[in-house]
Amino acid sequence: MKKNLYKNITSMACIVMALLFAIANSTDASESLQDGTNRNQHIIASNITQQEETSGYESSTLAEEISKELFSGKENTEILMPENENKKSWQKLENYFSADLRILAYGVAQNPAESNRNPNNDFLEIPHYVTNTEIRPDFYFNSNYLDLSVKPRSTFQYNIWKEGMRDGDTDWNDDWYVNEWIARVKAWNKLFLSYGRENLQWGPSFLYSPSNPFFSDNGRSNNYMEVQGMDFARILFVPHLNWSISLIVNTDEGRNSLPNSEPFEKIYALKVDYTGINGYASLIYSRKDSSQSNKIGFFGGWTASDALLLYTESSVQNGSDAWYPVTDSSLFGASLQQVHQDDDDVTPTILVGGAYTFLNSGTLTLEYLYNGPGYDRDAANLTFSTLKKAADAYYSLMKSAESDSEKDELADSLQEYLSSQNTDPGLRFLRRNYAMLQYYQVNIRNRLAITLRWTQNIDDGSGQFFGLFSYQLGDHWDLFGSGIINAGNKNTEYGSILDYQGMLGLKLSL
Amino acid sequence: MVHKFNRQFLFILEFIFFILIFTFTAQAQVSPKEMLEKADEARGSYEGVEVTVTMESNELGRKQYRVMKVSEKGYNCFLDTLAPSNVKGQRILMRDRNLWYANPGLSKPVPVSPRQKLIGVAVNGDIVSTNYTRDYKIVSTQDSILKGEDCILMNLEAVDKRTTYDRIKYWISKDRLVGVKGEFYTVSGKMFKSATFEYNNKITINGKPRDFISKAIITSAIIKDDFTIIDYSKPVQKKIPDALFNVNLLTK
Repeated sequence: MKKNLYKNITSMACIVMALLFAIANSTDASESLQDGTNRNQHIIASNITQQEETSGYESSTLAEEISKELFSGKENTEILMPENENKKSWQKLENYFSADLRILAYGVAQNPAESNRNPNNDFLEIPHYVTNTEIRPDFYFNSNYLDLSVKPRSTFQYNIWKEGMRDGDTDWNDDWYVNEWIARVKAWNKLFLSYGRENLQWGPSFLYSPSNPFFSDNGRSNNYMEVQGMDFARILFVPHLNWSISLIVNTDEGRNSLPNSEPFEKIYALKVDYTGINGYASLIYSRKDSSQSNKIGFFGGWTASDALLLYTESSVQNGSDAWYPVTDSSLFGASLQQVHQDDDDVTPTILVGGAYTFLNSGTLTLEYLYNGPGYDRDAANLTFSTLKKAADAYYSLMKSAESDSEKDELADSLQEYLSSQNTDPGLRFLRRNYAMLQYYQVNIRNRLAITLRWTQNIDDGSGQFFGLFSYQLGDHWDLFGSGIINAGNKNTEYGSILDYQGMLGLKLSL
Repeated sequence: MVHKFNRQFLFILEFIFFILIFTFTAQAQVSPKEMLEKADEARGSYEGVEVTVTMESNELGRKQYRVMKVSEKGYNCFLDTLAPSNVKGQRILMRDRNLWYANPGLSKPVPVSPRQKLIGVAVNGDIVSTNYTRDYKIVSTQDSILKGEDCILMNLEAVDKRTTYDRIKYWISKDRLVGVKGEFYTVSGKMFKSATFEYNNKITINGKPRDFISKAIITSAIIKDDFTIIDYSKPVQKKIPDALFNVNLLTK
């Protein structure tokens, strides 16, 4: 009996101890562990941080110093903290202003191609040497409810001719303008109403952005050359993190120029954007005001892996606004006319592409473009045969001229005649099938970025090599340069204007 | 017989008690997945946090630095470069697994991959919100001591190919529930970088103060002298609007 009693007491003691242990562990584990530490507890509102040396590396004193210098005296005015309320209004207002300044100085050397499109360089008058200085200040005002920005520009250009009738000529130009400005009202951080001059671009493609009804140049060919802005009124509604809707009206051509001096038409667009976990897509419907031509654009991208991106960008429209060669009774037997504007045929433009990033961070990109509005073989042949007739006639006249002054008169007459004709097809790409291969890599040895690109016109066999580099000389200075080499005979797209072009310059950022 | 019944009854009672106690203690312990979730929180708050990030990299003897303002919310992150002058205005937007890069010289944002290099040894995927809980599965765990601190070493494998790293060895402090060290491996099984983390900042999560990352040091395993130091300072918890992560507003 005593033995049984002892067993019972032992059992009960085990049960009680186990219960006590369970109670001790039933509270939140992290809370109990946190309370057990000897660290001081500071709530974030005081913005106090502690720096302790626990690693084998020294504290990054340069980085800390720079950070302290940038943020000295600047509190986060988004949060109402007791010490901010005591600041004067003008001190709070100061935080809303910011500005950047970039000054670019570069020289260009280029060789015009000897072709029917530009005989003796007297059609296009391309200068052989160009020096350019551009001053690009940007001013911003950003607050909770209003954003303002203005980007005035001044350019100083000096041209020297070495080919054609202008051989030996020099020219000095200066230009002062506002390339972009915007006023944007923000309502509840969901609705944004803006008006201004913008370089409004979108889409994942490098070669061309067919989904954009406003700009044919997407600015990707050379990052140092700015695209001229156009005037837009916009409403952007962000009802959800994954969705946004934009209403856009292109109210004026602004600094942009239209082909063949055609009159400006307002364009209205509705854009819907969706961003998912691994991809994004946008749909754009646009309509020209007076001609009432409709265009539907689309772009989408997919993050296939941490290194591979796949994307597409396209548009479809009725007919085409481009200028096509038509046989007629004009001086050289054909002229450019807008003959497909009222077509019912659907004209697609489709781009597909992919970008793969290697472990060294270099990225290889491949794109294919089908340019529906582009010239077919017959249209291209008619264009270049007409240009040949014009060039032959010009050479013949120049040969028969008896003096230099007579030659000058002929050249002036030619320019006058050309200015009265439609010479711009209004196409970003002349033909229909293109491919692009590009390699770019940034932060090489913490200094260098390079881009190497080959663009192939599959239809006429011509191609273009483009190379771009930038090298950081310090925190403010960059050395940059680019080179273009065109390959193809004189009756091809890339072989008919420039043989080569080289650019070298310095950029100062403040 | 009564005596025998009492013994049996006591035995059953003890058995039931031990089952209950086992259940309680099992629930009270933090599971490895929960520890990984806590460690993720300490490197990016799901509620919304804005932090100043200063990066200094040393690559083959060349130094480079960046100062950025980083706003994070959930799986989204927005980086705005503030210094130096020649890269000021560069922006990176991460919307879940989609990344865009914008530069004052570019007309439009460029989609980039997480593998793209940011500065030095760091890639985009190192700076923007890390979510190891979602992107990796825990293959195995073991106890480990790291610099005198009791840790759990987790072997993590990527759930799909969209993650920045194929495999990670991750040390999480059992005491503080923060990640203190990581080793990052390629598909071939080769370690190509490692990182250590410090947590001297504080933020509030669900009303409770929590450690928040203050420093990360990323070292290349291939070139041992190449490293990038990332300082996180002035973390501020705030309501970040969805519109900040809209690509239509990315370019200045």
